[in-house]
Amino acid sequence: MFRSTSLRLAALYTFGFAFAVVVLGVIILLITRAAMAEQFDARIQVEAGALTEEFRSEGLQGVVQAVRDRDNMVGALDYGLVAPGGAPLAGALATARVELGWSTIEIAEHEEVEGRPEHLRILSTSLPGGYRLLVGDDAERVEAVDGAVLRAFGWALLGVLILGAAGGYGLSRDIQRRLSAISGTAEAIIDGDLARRVPVRGSDDDLDRLAATFNRMLDRIAALMDSLRQISNDVAHDLRTPLTRLRQRLEGSLVESSDAARTQATEKALVDLDAILETFAALLRIAQIEGGARRAGFRTIDLTEIARTVVEAFAPSAEETGHRLKMSSEAPVLIDGDPELLVQMLVNLVENGLRHTPPGSTILVSADRQENRLAVLTVADNGPGVPALERPKLLDRFYRLESSRTTAGSGLGLSLIAAVAKLHEATLTLSDANPGLKVDVVFRPSTTA
Amino acid sequence: MKLLIVEDDKDGAAYVVKALEEAGHTVDHAATGRDGLLLAAGEPYDVIVLDRMLPGIDGLGILRTIRASGVQTPVLLLTALGGIDDRVEGLEAGGDDYLIKPFAMAELLARITALGRRPPPQEIITTLQVSDLSMDLLKRSVTRGGTRVELQPREFRLLEYLMRHAGRVVTRTMLLENVWDFHFDPKTNIVETHVSRLRSKIGNRDAELIHTVRGSGYCLREPD
Repeated sequence: MFRSTSLRLAALYTFGFAFAVVVLGVIILLITRAAMAEQFDARIQVEAGALTEEFRSEGLQGVVQAVRDRDNMVGALDYGLVAPGGAPLAGALATARVELGWSTIEIAEHEEVEGRPEHLRILSTSLPGGYRLLVGDDAERVEAVDGAVLRAFGWALLGVLILGAAGGYGLSRDIQRRLSAISGTAEAIIDGDLARRVPVRGSDDDLDRLAATFNRMLDRIAALMDSLRQISNDVAHDLRTPLTRLRQRLEGSLVESSDAARTQATEKALVDLDAILETFAALLRIAQIEGGARRAGFRTIDLTEIARTVVEAFAPSAEETGHRLKMSSEAPVLIDGDPELLVQMLVNLVENGLRHTPPGSTILVSADRQENRLAVLTVADNGPGVPALERPKLLDRFYRLESSRTTAGSGLGLSLIAAVAKLHEATLTLSDANPGLKVDVVFRPSTTA
Repeated sequence: MKLLIVEDDKDGAAYVVKALEEAGHTVDHAATGRDGLLLAAGEPYDVIVLDRMLPGIDGLGILRTIRASGVQTPVLLLTALGGIDDRVEGLEAGGDDYLIKPFAMAELLARITALGRRPPPQEIITTLQVSDLSMDLLKRSVTRGGTRVELQPREFRLLEYLMRHAGRVVTRTMLLENVWDFHFDPKTNIVETHVSRLRSKIGNRDAELIHTVRGSGYCLREPD
């Protein structure tokens, strides 16, 4: 429990606030005390001033009377009038021995308050003629405020500590519960339950977003594992037949009677073996591409350049089978991508087109930028095309390795196209070229365009 | 040529050594990275063939050490690692060529020969000449028997590669890699098609310069 980060954080905050309350309390206490003291002294001073005026206007008798009157009033200050020689003339303070100016004296007992020493704040001024006037008051009033402020802040501090503790505990339990959900899911997945996902509350705060990201990561891992499983199955399947054939061929060569026949059998076996190795390499390459590691090597490339390279390389061979392979665009189209993989993808698309169209067909390759500024690579032929109903099936063949194939190469070629497109976050669409088949690879917006 | 093979697989190494010796080369064999390092640093070789995966040590580490000690001998890396990045990594570590196992012996022979006969880097060549075929690298022009031959850029590149390796076998894979920068094998034999077009362009059926070497590739040399 004490290892909980949220609890530590809550404790830190609580103590921080408590400290702030204490500091604030002290400051307010000092300010209040100073203000009260000032006001207190001011009152005494005003009284002293009034009485001095009285002396000036009414003379000694006037002041004596004023002092005696005030002395009898409830809630009044304390006064004292002293003759030049020091003899008390009037007022309770007349007997007090103080210097001129401000002083504070302590009196052990007083009639008004029992058992508590009284702090008297006294102002002693001199009147014309050598008389002295004393005005003072019990500082208890100021001290009472001290107490009130301290009590108030004491309660505030207690409140902060209680609220902090309760709130902190409550908050950390909530966070703890959510973190446990995440780590609990992780544990379950480690133990083998791969379908588990972290519950998402929908509150869209940090922890929720963390949970969502976590789930996306898990989806990715599951996809990778599926891909791996798929590859293993396909390796087993795709290679078993040609390996069997190879074995039979070699076995057969053992019983060949003539050297020439044996040599020929061995040569054929080598060809078979090369085909097997190529299938193997293709499967591995697709797995690598699907693994996504290549994305780090992306750079800015021109699709038109890539198209030109491929068209130029394959045009002569296309001619030999009676096909025409041409570029139908010119302007550069820049995207972020892997040039090697895109070349291979386009080669596969072109070879696919050549394979599925009769002699006399034309295949056009173009790189364009659509109105929505997305880059698109298109390979279109004017052959028999693919009926609309079968296009989804064909697209499916792009994404799934078909179990029945005539040549090992063609199925993998389509899968490689799909894998490269996916790596580039591009979408593959098949449409009618009227006549013929049109394959579009639409790339996501580039940072360079 | 004097060759060094650094390969831990005994049978594989024996096969390669035998084939290379039969082709007329002198071959030293090291079965461990350390031995390979010692030999490479101690003797001058024309080409070193280095397996990338050696027991307990990364072949690229050996390669970097070899290069760091100043040995400029061309190195051909052999590897079972066919990854796209592995090739780049190998070349960046100082390798000159990269061959994926399993390979055809003809391929290895052709590449070793190509590496071993490279002209020193300081030498600047401006023309190539084989028999009456002449290529001006600066003007980018080709003449046969004095007559100008018009070539497309790619055809020019193809002919240039063949001429730079004149007299030696050049495999289909080498051409795909160096002329087209294709590091995969297309189903269509584009190399054959382009070579045959090139032949007809620089033509002279009685004095054929581009020969097909069965089971290996092509070779541009004096007419038979």
